[in-house]
Amino acid sequence: MIRSVLIGMLFAGTAWPQGQSRDLRGIWEATGTAYQNLEGAPAQRGQPAAKSVVVDPANGRIPYRADARKSADRNSKERETSDPLLSCFQPGVPRAALLPEPFQIFQNPDRVVIVYQHVHAYRVIFTDGRPHYDEGIDFYMGDSRGRWEGDTLVVDVTNFKPETWLDNAGNFHGNKLHVIERYTRTGADTLRYEATIEDPEVFERAWNIRVDLARHTEPNFQLLEHECERDTKGVYRHPPQFLK
Amino acid sequence: MKLAMLLLLSIGAATQSDFTPPRLADGHPNFGGIWMAASLSAAFNVEEHGASYGTPAGPSVIVDPPGGKLPYLPGMRERAADNDQHRERDPVGQCHMHGVPRVMFPPFPLEILQDGNYVLILTETEHGVRIIPTDGRPFLKDYSAWNGDSRGHWDGDTLVVEVRGLNGRGWLDQAGNFMGAGAHVVEQFRLTGKDTLDYQATVENPAIFSRPFTLRVPLRRRPADVELLEYGCIEGERDAAHLPPVNGEKK
Repeated sequence: MIRSVLIGMLFAGTAWPQGQSRDLRGIWEATGTAYQNLEGAPAQRGQPAAKSVVVDPANGRIPYRADARKSADRNSKERETSDPLLSCFQPGVPRAALLPEPFQIFQNPDRVVIVYQHVHAYRVIFTDGRPHYDEGIDFYMGDSRGRWEGDTLVVDVTNFKPETWLDNAGNFHGNKLHVIERYTRTGADTLRYEATIEDPEVFERAWNIRVDLARHTEPNFQLLEHECERDTKGVYRHPPQFLK
Repeated sequence: MKLAMLLLLSIGAATQSDFTPPRLADGHPNFGGIWMAASLSAAFNVEEHGASYGTPAGPSVIVDPPGGKLPYLPGMRERAADNDQHRERDPVGQCHMHGVPRVMFPPFPLEILQDGNYVLILTETEHGVRIIPTDGRPFLKDYSAWNGDSRGHWDGDTLVVEVRGLNGRGWLDQAGNFMGAGAHVVEQFRLTGKDTLDYQATVENPAIFSRPFTLRVPLRRRPADVELLEYGCIEGERDAAHLPPVNGEKK
């Protein structure tokens, strides 16, 4: 009782009021298996089936340019050796939000911070209107600037390096990638994640995905350290409990 | 020396009473911002050191024991000296997070953000993360991690963070001073001015040190327009193969 009163006081005293629909704080994880393949895929050895999360175009397919589709197919064949996640790359956006690993959202009035368990990648998303960091530097996780549209956090992400993938299946992008993410609370423990993805060198048109995120409500749940390392033989290693 | 320590402590105490920190709505001091060690000396070597190739001279940041030397057990100082001759072993050089307490004084900025039940520390280097719950929850069991498992509580205006679960592979600085398995760290964060944050860490590690030691590093606030930038290290890493072998292992 005393403890819950104390916790209540802690919440009441923070800069960001609790219980509002703009409050995105918490530990979240994607439901479903979009991480396998954004376009959906039948179950295969070691991989659960995935349903397409591409909501536009309506056929659920990524609108690749013809040559780019060939590259995606080649990536798919080489996924067991070529997936950048295996060699400790930060996951990029939107892949970071879709992984079968939790991430935690922290919030202050002028910024939202997302910490992903996966290789402790993080993003500091300013919501105070300051412009993109435009010094000609590219980032694996992109450069994120946020704004509120009603109760939806809209994040504009630019300045990407081209090396990251979009999913385990080898769907990919180039360095003209531009992602617009939308985070919308849909319930006490649910958050809708939508992303518009464009890259005129790889895709014929912009396309959209939608994935529901669920809050981890287990008592004292916390992110664990997922450090990826390269051993003395040059082999990249992940802690075994995080492999999927 | 003792007198100097007393003087230092009394100056610290005076600063504490003279300065009223900015507070969040919950009444706790607001540590939010981008910070960086006021001097990079500790990143090079936590003990007093003369100038050498690539390393400027600097004073010890060890405030206890008096004398400023790490209280190594017999044989351990030789291991540190050997590390110093083999800096390719430095875990940070291999893209690992710094570990506590080294994570608080790298030659890179870090960001502190308070959010209700958490204090979050993001380091630019190695995109390192420390999530410090302050809600009184228990420590994880059987945990082992570069940055350990942290629990915070407030002692007046001082944030006290206890760290367990450190993996014992972390170094204390670039000079090869090191920690081992079973280390237990207690940190104290206290604002001493608008733009100055006092950081102290007491390390207890009976496998390596004959007694606990305390280091103290002041952090200075970076200007408001400074942002942390992404730090890539291990991605596509191809240089490690050209470094000398680690621990004498053959490739």
